[in-house]
Order: sequence, then structure tokens, then C-alpha cells
Amino acid sequence: MDKLFGWERFFENIPKILPYLSVTFRIVVYATGFGVLLAAFIVLAELKKIPVLNPFFKVYVSFMRGTPMLVQLMIIYYGIPALIDPVFGTNINRGFSAVTFAYITFILNQGAFLSAIFYGAITSIPYGQTEAGFSVGLTELQTFRRILLPQMVRIALPPFGSDLVGLFQNSSLVFLIGVTDIMGRAKSIGAATKHVLEAYVFVVIIYIVISLTIRLLFYYLNTKLEYGREGVK
Amino acid sequence: MNFNTAHFFESFLYGIKYFPNTLRLVFIPLAIGLILGTVIALARVYKVPVLCKLLGIFVTVYQGVPIVVALMIYNLVFMLKFNDLAGFLHIKTKAADVDNIWVGIFALSLTAVCSISEAIRGALLSIDKGQDEAGYSVGLTKVQTIRRIIIPQMIPAAIPTLINHVVGLIKASSVVMAIGIIEIVAGATIPSSRTYSFFEGYVAAAVIYWAFTIMIEYLAKVLRRHTGRFRRNPYD
Repeated sequence: MDKLFGWERFFENIPKILPYLSVTFRIVVYATGFGVLLAAFIVLAELKKIPVLNPFFKVYVSFMRGTPMLVQLMIIYYGIPALIDPVFGTNINRGFSAVTFAYITFILNQGAFLSAIFYGAITSIPYGQTEAGFSVGLTELQTFRRILLPQMVRIALPPFGSDLVGLFQNSSLVFLIGVTDIMGRAKSIGAATKHVLEAYVFVVIIYIVISLTIRLLFYYLNTKLEYGREGVK
Repeated sequence: MNFNTAHFFESFLYGIKYFPNTLRLVFIPLAIGLILGTVIALARVYKVPVLCKLLGIFVTVYQGVPIVVALMIYNLVFMLKFNDLAGFLHIKTKAADVDNIWVGIFALSLTAVCSISEAIRGALLSIDKGQDEAGYSVGLTKVQTIRRIIIPQMIPAAIPTLINHVVGLIKASSVVMAIGIIEIVAGATIPSSRTYSFFEGYVAAAVIYWAFTIMIEYLAKVLRRHTGRFRRNPYD
């Protein structure tokens, strides 16, 4: 057996893996975009104490936060076909590609996690602010948009950033259900050439770069949004 | 709807059977993480010359690595290089003799060390500098100050974040099934491969994890009330 790690193989792998970064990014973008919508809906149901939905979402959020991402991914992957196929007589496993299940899982998961972040941000603003808004004749929506939302963004930003870093890392799990993201591609290169370490190392470098970029970005945003407030040192 | 209750219970029992493996995968890394994490955090907060920079870079960079990718690399290196290393050290054991749960424990430990050191560093930074000075002024040495004044105050401040990391560790421990270690998830799906009831298997695994994390969070609440006795916290 020749050398475990060869630089020429490492550089050969770069153009083979890099295109699959779009799969990872697509999962993250869908999960964040639709996750924010779902989270907003969950927070609304919790704040308004909508009868059936409120306890349901409580259990839902607890489940999503209490079980591993991997298990959720598998439950969606095997569960949706098992639940829906007999009812509608469809064949979802044939119809959906594996990545669709990944999208669904990540959207549901992010919805729960982001709702906890948003709920914490909203409830950390004193209720007096809302009352102040009402007292000067703003409607509920106006109070939310002009008074609560700007304060909420500042509070929710740091946890949102670390959630995003976690989401990128979790997205590497999708190769376990057969989606070819950068990690899946690294594995398939390994299966084809029997040299997988170089590919894995490159994947690690990609994830480190992404995580550092997001952290720097959120650090910058956070200092931007200080508005002369004294930061926690 | 295809949900076979009998298969679910069978999977549930199999999952429970491998529960001790998950406990090992969680609590050994947790213990290592608490010890090394505290050391790293202290080295960074008290600015030990070269070490603090190196550890800072290592922790920041390593936190960007997904656990599953790290796990695959360690497993690969372990399988290819363990025999050479053992031969070099004149140890008779071969890679095949070593339970690969140790690879999982190693990977989870590194992750735990990084995340716990960050949690403890945050708690240490929240303690006022005046506490150190007060310690020195009554003639305590640096080590005595840290041990008798700083650490007792650091513990209650660190507990909420630490609990989050414990729950994170429980969830992260499920990925070790990717290298063939049998813990709750892999255990619960053992009967599934015979009956082809993967959905029930994974639901059973989810239920076990859910109960486990709820229990941990309840314990955390009790613990927080206990350690927070001396500080007035309006949220307890």
C-alpha cells in the first residue's frame, strides 16, 4: 500500500467535490428560509395561545430538540412513505429523490429550533413596550413591525448565527440517506479510488471555512447592531 | 397507515438493550471534556503565554468540523494505522481486537472538550476581575485563588450552558452508527432489517432519546435550583 495521504490526489479531488457544495447550500437555504416561516407560525400560535395548536407545537418543539438529527432524518425518510403510500396509493420512494426528504427534515427541524430562538427573543422584550405601542394608537401589527421586530433582531442574531453554523454541520448527515452532498461525494470518491482520506480532509477544510465565515459575519453584524450600547465584554 | 405496534415494541426493547453503549459514549467524553475543558479554559482566561494562542486556534477551528466527518477520518486512520502504531510500541493488540466504540468515544471527546471549554471560558469571563484581586490581597496564591474563589463561582454560571452541551452530546452520540458501533439507533433497527420495519425502529429510537433528554433536562432544573441557592435568580 502506498502513502496514506498524497497531495496530488488531494488537489485532484478539489474539482470533483466542489460542485456538490451547491447541494449543501441548497439544503441550508431551504431549511433557513422555510424554517423561519414555520418558526414564525409556531411563535404566533404560542403567543396567541391558539387552543389545539399551542400544546401540539410544544410537544413538537420538545421532540425536535430532544432527538438526534440523524433519527429525525431516518424517521422522515422511512416514515413519510410508510404513512402516506397506503392512504393515497402512491409510491413516494420512487417519486421523491432522497434530497427531498432531507429538505423536509431540515425545514421541520429548523422550524422548531428557530421558534425557540424567536420566542426567547420576543419574550425578553418587556411587555411595557407593546403597551406603549398600543397607547400611542399603533395597531398590533404596527407595534410588532416598528417596535418589537427591531429589538428582536438584535437579541436573536447571536443564537441565530450559532444555529446556522450547527445547521451546516448537521447537513453533512444527509449522506447517510444516500444524498450526494460534499460528504457523500467524498465517500464515493473513496469507493472508486480506494483513497478517501484526501477527500475527507478537503471536506473538513470546506466546513471549517464555512463555519469561520459565518461566525465572522455574525460577529460583524453584531457589532454593527450595537448602536452605542455597551457590549458584554 | 403502516405502523406495526409489535415491531415497534421489539425495536424498543432492542434499543434499551444497547442503551449502556450510549451512556458510555456520552459520559466518558463528558468526564474527559469537563477535565480538559476546564484546563483549556483556565489556560486561555489566564493567558498562559504560547499555549493560550494555540488552544484558541485549535478550539475555534475544531468547532467548525462536523462530528460525522471527524468520525469517518478517525475511523479510517484507526483502521489503517493502528497496527503500525501497536507494532511500534510493542503492544500485541491488533486493530481487530479493539472495540471500535473507542474511536467513537475519542471523536466525541474531542468535540466535548472544545464545546465545554468554550462554555467554561464564558462562565470564567463572567466573574469579576476583582475576585482575583481580592484573593491575592489576602495572600492566596494564584492556584489557591482559582480553586477556592473562582471555580466555586464558575460552576453555577456554567451549568445552564453545560446542560445544553450534555443534551447536544447525547444527540451527537447517535452518529457513531455510521462507523458500525451499535448504540440506541443501530440497536433499535436490528430487528428492522429482518422485518423491514425501519420506520418503527427509528421511532422507537427517537422515543428512547426523547425520554433520556427530558430526564436530563429535569435533572438540570433540580441541579440549577440546588447550585443557585446562593444567588438570587428570579427565573428559578
